Amino acid sequence: MQLDSIHVLVVDDVKTTRILAEDLLMQVGFKKIDTAASVQDAQEIMESHSVHMVLSDWHMSPNTGLELLKWVRVHEKYKNLPFIFFTAEKTKECVMQAIENKVDGYLLKPLTPEQVEEKVFQVLSKKGVLT
Amino acid sequence: MNQTQGSQHEKIQEFILELSQFAGTAEQTLEKIESDLMTNKKLFNVFSERMVAIRGAAIQLNLSDIAKIAELGEEIAIKGENAQKRSQIRKCVGSLWDALTTVKHLLVHYQDETTEEQEILIHRLEKTLEAFGGARQKIDESDIDNLFNQIGES
Repeated sequence: MQLDSIHVLVVDDVKTTRILAEDLLMQVGFKKIDTAASVQDAQEIMESHSVHMVLSDWHMSPNTGLELLKWVRVHEKYKNLPFIFFTAEKTKECVMQAIENKVDGYLLKPLTPEQVEEKVFQVLSKKGVLT
Repeated sequence: MNQTQGSQHEKIQEFILELSQFAGTAEQTLEKIESDLMTNKKLFNVFSERMVAIRGAAIQLNLSDIAKIAELGEEIAIKGENAQKRSQIRKCVGSLWDALTTVKHLLVHYQDETTEEQEILIHRLEKTLEAFGGARQKIDESDIDNLFNQIGES
């Protein structure tokens, strides 16, 4: 799949961050981007659209990004979906929790074009989404 | 102001509006904690979550002073939630009022240079945090890469 066909879902409860992340993803070549302000919104989008990658914040209310990751990993339909955190949460405990729950990548804010090109493209290639 | 700066300015304005609402929630939370320190100390969690939200967006917008104070606020709030003595909780609340007031000021005056007053506040918040045992251990991107590699190898 080419970059411009990959459908990315950005999940963050801060509108400004969603806008900035969307701008940045478009800047590096993504064309199909949806955003969600909560885990519930994200789940609804995933159930109604074919999403190829989730880029999610950790700290959200009432449900966290970790809960979204766990939900994704137990669903047959999504369990292999590339899932990457982009967050300001940098305690070792949280990173370990994310890895234990089979996250594919963990990016620290600020999200940069270099991070996307290096880490996100790597995950997409490894998962066979980006060809 | 060129087009890029103008666009960034608009985003920051939007951010400030949104983050001012978060600061409002944090303010109401502190008032509730103050009204009954021991019973409501669990609400420090709400405060720290709002500080995380402010910090994440501030980092993304390169507003480093706001991000720094929000991070200190987040860490002190976590200490407050676990504090056992009324005097410790009161100390946390006092520090968090200072942090929140400064964040609110900086949201309005984000283009201003860092003032001596802010530096003194940051130093005071750091001292408070140290007195409570310091911030939680943080890791950087290379540490994260190492953790992923270790899991991959195991």
